[in-house]
Amino acid sequence: MRLRTVITVAIVLLVAIVLQTTLFSQTSLFTPDLVMLVAIMLCLTRIRPELTLGLAFVAGLAVDLLGSAVLGLRAIVFTVVAYLALRTRERADIGRVITGIWAGLLTLAGVVLLLLVGTLFGQTVLLGEGVVDLLFLVPIANMILAFIFAPLFVRLVDRDSTAFRYA
Amino acid sequence: MLSRQPGDRTLPTLVTLLVIGVLLMTFDIRSEGGGVTGVLRTGTQSIVAPLQKGAALVVNPVVDVIESLTNVATLREQVLDLEAELADAEAQVVALQDDMARLELYEELYALEATGTDIGRTPAQVIGQPDAFDGALIIDKGTGDGIVVGQPVLDTNGYVVGSVQQVTPVSATIVPITVGPGGVAVAVGNQIGTVLPQVNTDVMRLDLTAEEPVFAGDRVVTSSASVRFPAGFPVGEVLADAAPTGESLTTEVAPYVQMETLRVVVILAWPPDPISAITPDTTTTTTSTTLPEDGSTSTTSTTLGEDG
Repeated sequence: MRLRTVITVAIVLLVAIVLQTTLFSQTSLFTPDLVMLVAIMLCLTRIRPELTLGLAFVAGLAVDLLGSAVLGLRAIVFTVVAYLALRTRERADIGRVITGIWAGLLTLAGVVLLLLVGTLFGQTVLLGEGVVDLLFLVPIANMILAFIFAPLFVRLVDRDSTAFRYA
Repeated sequence: MLSRQPGDRTLPTLVTLLVIGVLLMTFDIRSEGGGVTGVLRTGTQSIVAPLQKGAALVVNPVVDVIESLTNVATLREQVLDLEAELADAEAQVVALQDDMARLELYEELYALEATGTDIGRTPAQVIGQPDAFDGALIIDKGTGDGIVVGQPVLDTNGYVVGSVQQVTPVSATIVPITVGPGGVAVAVGNQIGTVLPQVNTDVMRLDLTAEEPVFAGDRVVTSSASVRFPAGFPVGEVLADAAPTGESLTTEVAPYVQMETLRVVVILAWPPDPISAITPDTTTTTTSTTLPEDGSTSTTSTTLGEDG
């Protein structure tokens, strides 16, 4: 992975973390998990799969370090989601709508896993008011954002203006 | 459904990262947020907090405008309701003025001094939340402003919000009482018990050691038995009438604090001086019962008093 790509990914992750913890923490209807979405969309780029898993782990760890839940919880969840994304990414580049649905389904798997593992480890802080609504709202928001931004994101990270043109 | 190619090393990488993740979780739980993981958290939050503060300066007004636009339809009714409440409150103030004058007279006669008002208060702005699922709040004050782990947090009306879980030089993380992890020792009238968070709702469960029933609308306040909060701060109100079965009673409590609209909180410097609190200068002994704040078993402890 080139230095330029590293810097681009680091900046995108930082922006995602700041936006998620400020802007999207105050909106009740549109509540994406931006950092998880970035981890998913990284799987569509040409970055080596092993590195993508590592980046997803680091992204999850960063959110863990900022949150109140146990350290490593989101790191595990994001890594598993990235693995599923890497295994299914061939099906995602058929069209823009499919990319959105693919990202939404992976997010759904991610949030279910987050709550499951979180509950097993006694993380009641994740189970507050509206948790059932969030199970659906977060994947839908991620689906919309992936529909809009996934091609742009891949072109930005890969520095390839022809990527994801859905020819 | 899933595709895999020969020579692919993603599966070993995944397993390795999962093992590291589980080890981190175990280590974090065993060290109770301290040690290396605590240093890591503090370092990361110190780096990100200035960016969050900057973003909050831009984001908060935008969110407020959007919220006010979406709420414009109900604003007229809210104004009418608030005007009625204001009129009631003003009438109560007038009624209380006589009582206040009488109280001041008695305080002068008996040379009384008010206690409990000398607790230091630090207002702070809520700048964010870790993610949609994490109920914790991030505030813009930290150790540099005298905030320490465990301090109680109220909203601007004096209602109990939660307590400080993590603190950095420039920011702190607050865990609301509505998401746990433990409960809060409370009192309803002269009966004491514990409120505990519940899943998927802000409504809390109230377990009381009760001899008398409680009624809907009864005020729930922090108990003097609490080790996390000073006594007498309002937590919420009882939602439904409940009568004791045996020596206990269980019902639900609606917290007063509105988490979704919380923008400013107040951190209490409590206990005011933990060192003097445990090194009494008299030999008088008093006995107090400490209620468990985790909803499990009860314990009794004896402490030395300072009121010799």
